[in-house]
Amino acid sequence: MKKTVHEISVAVTLLLLLGAMAIWTPSFYDPQPLLSRTTSAVPKMMIAVGVSLALVTRHIDISTGSMLAICCSVMGMISQTGHGWTLTWAAGIGVGMALGAVNGALIAGLGLPSIIVTLAMMFALREGVRLWTQGVFINLKPNAQWFGLEMVSAQWAIVVAGLSLTLAVVWSSRFLTVGRYFYLIGSDPESAFEAGLPVRRITFMSFVLNGTLVGLAAGLTVAQAPQVDPGIGQGLELEMIAAAVVGGIAVNGGRGRLWGVMVGMALLVCIAPALTYMGVAAYWEKAIQGVIILAAVSAEGIRKSGTQISIGNLD
Amino acid sequence: MKTTANIFKRHSYREIWLRAEALLALALILEVILFTLYGRRFSTWDNWMNILRHSAEIGLLAVALTPVIWTGGIDLSVGSTLGLSAVAFGQLWRDAGMDPWLAGVASVGVGTICGAINGALIVWIRIPPLIVTLGTYSLFRGFAEALAKGVDTFTGFPEGFLWIGSGQWLGIPVQIWIFSCVALMYVTADWKTVLGRNWKAIGCSEQAAYLSGINIQKYVFSAYLMAGTVAGIAAITYSSRLGSIKADAGFGYELLAITAVGLGGVRLSGGKGSVLGATLGVLALGILNNGLGRTPLTMNYSSELGGVLTGALLIGAIALSVRRGSP
Repeated sequence: MKKTVHEISVAVTLLLLLGAMAIWTPSFYDPQPLLSRTTSAVPKMMIAVGVSLALVTRHIDISTGSMLAICCSVMGMISQTGHGWTLTWAAGIGVGMALGAVNGALIAGLGLPSIIVTLAMMFALREGVRLWTQGVFINLKPNAQWFGLEMVSAQWAIVVAGLSLTLAVVWSSRFLTVGRYFYLIGSDPESAFEAGLPVRRITFMSFVLNGTLVGLAAGLTVAQAPQVDPGIGQGLELEMIAAAVVGGIAVNGGRGRLWGVMVGMALLVCIAPALTYMGVAAYWEKAIQGVIILAAVSAEGIRKSGTQISIGNLD
Repeated sequence: MKTTANIFKRHSYREIWLRAEALLALALILEVILFTLYGRRFSTWDNWMNILRHSAEIGLLAVALTPVIWTGGIDLSVGSTLGLSAVAFGQLWRDAGMDPWLAGVASVGVGTICGAINGALIVWIRIPPLIVTLGTYSLFRGFAEALAKGVDTFTGFPEGFLWIGSGQWLGIPVQIWIFSCVALMYVTADWKTVLGRNWKAIGCSEQAAYLSGINIQKYVFSAYLMAGTVAGIAAITYSSRLGSIKADAGFGYELLAITAVGLGGVRLSGGKGSVLGATLGVLALGILNNGLGRTPLTMNYSSELGGVLTGALLIGAIALSVRRGSP
């Protein structure tokens, strides 16, 4: 109980917000808009969980927004040329995996700092996708949107598929041995190495898993619109880290629960509609997001203060 | 792994030069030769001044980020601070009817307050810098958007103010003088005062710095405070160069500045690097983007290719310095 104080207080905040909206703006709960909002938030949640795994192993990934753009564009291009869903999805997930593997190879293999590698990847991939598509929207075949299903059932499919995948990762991180390895490495890489864990291989795996989740999220994103915007995911990378932090992941590794990240992400995506329904101008969204991030971590900081000198290192 | 000893050695600057900056200088010379050969009107006085003019804001931010990174921290909020200061300037000048120079000073003050908020949260509430500045990255940008009501544009500045961004003094763009003053201040702090040494010592090992009596809170706070001030100054040159201000001023500049710093051989986990290196990094980015735009082969794809090459260059530089055992 004591260890989950942070996650529970974030969850309570979310519930309070949802409760307040139930009382003052019940129209927030109209089924169709609610389902649509949930559908568009699910891919983000998947990526946030992947990024959190990188943070747990004491690394960082700020290339997710650009990776998402590449995966979506690849899937769009393939689906446009009339190939079936199997190839499209295989390509999207494959590209995500490959990009994650490149990150992982540079970080775990060559031992380069993750912040630099993913920063460079962020630039290179973002501009690479612009070079390739020239920013032109990719129109999909008419039956490609919503998997050719009816909208509502496709939305349910996306929500169920996305959430169960995310929950599977969350569950594995808690109850599978390999999941605990991520935490062991993050809390003390040297001890983990001395204890005989394959530190490099597991670090590599965490980036590959992250890339795979981005690929899957790309699939669920592409299915939601009649066309693919190659500029998608701009600024996503920092939003993902914000969700992880609000959800209680420690940026210096080894601590935090992935279900907290799901709650954190849910809280962040609720702000914009909450503002709209409560009649506050939408341009306050970013400021309030900032306040939430700082409030979430200040509470943590004040609770812990006095127990450590460290002001915090990045690596 | 991290050694505190070598930063106190007398010849340490020479050693550092031999590692990262020399490599970067070599890349710079290569860039200049290639673009002079293949680019159109690349090596002209006007174009050189043009490159410098467009590098001023990233340069200011990169130089101010260097001490922050020395201490083992990071500041993701400098771009947002720039945006908030610029919008504050616009409102003070246009809506409050303030004298533009006075408004300029006030907006540098706004930047300083932003820096102080970062520093206070990091030093006294002890939240990791990455998280604090991620939060203020949203917060400051959010305030800028709220102040400008999302869409407001400030424009029509007086002649005298526009001179900062487009005028010259002794044949050199005004903002280069500003940049040089700020950079010189940081270089002096690094080479001639205890500031630079203590910043780096904290980044090498906070524990050791603490045990040797360095007031960690004071030095870490000052690094963030100064970064805020300089971001405020960059807001002035930015608004004056573009002649208009929107709430998205300086969006994405933080990552460009960090890239320049990393390219310049400053170790991103702290403790190592030089202001000169960071300046060279900024120059390398500026020349790359300008040169690609002037070479017929790459003209139409210059910004995209520039981004791809920046990424490749960054990884290459770091990989090389890792092999030489520096970061």
